[in-house]
Amino acid sequence: MKVGTLTWEFPPRVVGGIARHCEGLAKALVQQNHEVHLFTLDFPGSPNYEEMDGVKVYRASTELGHPNFLTWVLMFNHFLTKRMADVVHSVDFDVMHVHDWLAAFSGISFKHYLKKPMVLTVHSTEVGRAQGLHSPDSFSINGIEWWAMYEADRVIVCSQSMKNEICDHFNLPWEKVDVIPNAIDAAKYQTSVDRGAVRQRYGVGWGEKLILCVGRLVPQKGIEYFIRAIPSIAKRYPEAKFVIVGEGWSRDILEAEARASGQNRKIQFTGFASDQEVINLMSSADVLVVPSVYEPFGIVALEGMATGVPVVASKVGGLSEVIEHDRTGFFVFPKNPESIAWGVDRVLSDPDHAKWLTENAKDKLHKAYSWEAVAMKTVEVYRKVVG
Amino acid sequence: MGESNSFRSQPDEQPNQLRLLIMLHNIGATESSKSLTIQQISEWTRMEAPELQTHLKKLIEQGYAQSFRSDETDKYHLTVDGIRKVLSLYS
Repeated sequence: MKVGTLTWEFPPRVVGGIARHCEGLAKALVQQNHEVHLFTLDFPGSPNYEEMDGVKVYRASTELGHPNFLTWVLMFNHFLTKRMADVVHSVDFDVMHVHDWLAAFSGISFKHYLKKPMVLTVHSTEVGRAQGLHSPDSFSINGIEWWAMYEADRVIVCSQSMKNEICDHFNLPWEKVDVIPNAIDAAKYQTSVDRGAVRQRYGVGWGEKLILCVGRLVPQKGIEYFIRAIPSIAKRYPEAKFVIVGEGWSRDILEAEARASGQNRKIQFTGFASDQEVINLMSSADVLVVPSVYEPFGIVALEGMATGVPVVASKVGGLSEVIEHDRTGFFVFPKNPESIAWGVDRVLSDPDHAKWLTENAKDKLHKAYSWEAVAMKTVEVYRKVVG
Repeated sequence: MGESNSFRSQPDEQPNQLRLLIMLHNIGATESSKSLTIQQISEWTRMEAPELQTHLKKLIEQGYAQSFRSDETDKYHLTVDGIRKVLSLYS
């Protein structure tokens, strides 16, 4: 099958989970002998065309700009369309696969121009990301999301909770939506890591605890509630150090929150970290906290499970489908610092039980979340629309 | 801290420094070949040069922007971390 994929994020343009999802899926499709042409935006230092493990990656350069975000999105869709137009004359695509609303204009254009079916993966929604529709831009994005789902022949989401959310919010027919969970390349996480050296690099000495939080620094990740839990955790575990990995627009606010916590000298913001450094940190941490308030899937929890770190996560969205409470991790209440502190204490106070949790988690991971399985299920969806 | 960061604010409610970062991204100042002078940025953003210089200095200190001298003029563009910070708003 010949697949044309459109996404605004693809490595090294990594913002959230979309880039990693598109990379994992595209490579797995190629391994199953499908042809994937992936159209995305440029990023400093990246070529405008390359092949990555057989995936043909075309990057569009946005030659015009505008201060308004939505206007800029329309403009980059024009350049994405132009980049794709160079290719469609020589490749007879079977299906167009669009990821999220940002590339929807381009995808919808090609659906009609080529008379080919379009599949849309909804990774999250505006109403979920912004916790409501509070601005004209949000209302507009919400409308574009609806339009993209209406135009799509099939819609894919990564969790049952996302299916419930979009069918409820957009009045989407239940039978139009397929649930295909995310995955990770578990082998990537089985590397040998010098835990002592990693911990030392982050100022965590012998006998001290490393409590890790990884995610974009945006409100939906709930990191403010993790920071508010730190005084309680530090009271019980004075030797604990807290490392927050990620970048995002609310970093200033979170750093101010850390200063106000009275525990600032124990809290470290690393900024964006490479995949390998995230693996190093997860492999060296005593606990991984995932305090999200909105989480369509929660791939970071899978990454934690793969490295063998005990996971403490909010029981929201896709996380509630990834983790089994007190079997593969601990659930805590969202937006609840006391509950987060309780979860961390459950892990740190009983290392044997924590180890049992991580063994169960690894076992579940290998059985349920592989890119090979995701690719096979995605091809089943393609076959439904190709006929 | 209150709940003020719980929702994404409208552009005119965002701190000017973040607003400037977003604007620099959206007008395309994302690498050295696309860098802009203070005057060009001022024309796009309608911000006065002294205020722009204050914000740009802070963004450079934080690692979100960088500057270089070309033809005896300072030019500015975002770093990769700056781009990621902006994109986090919408992903």
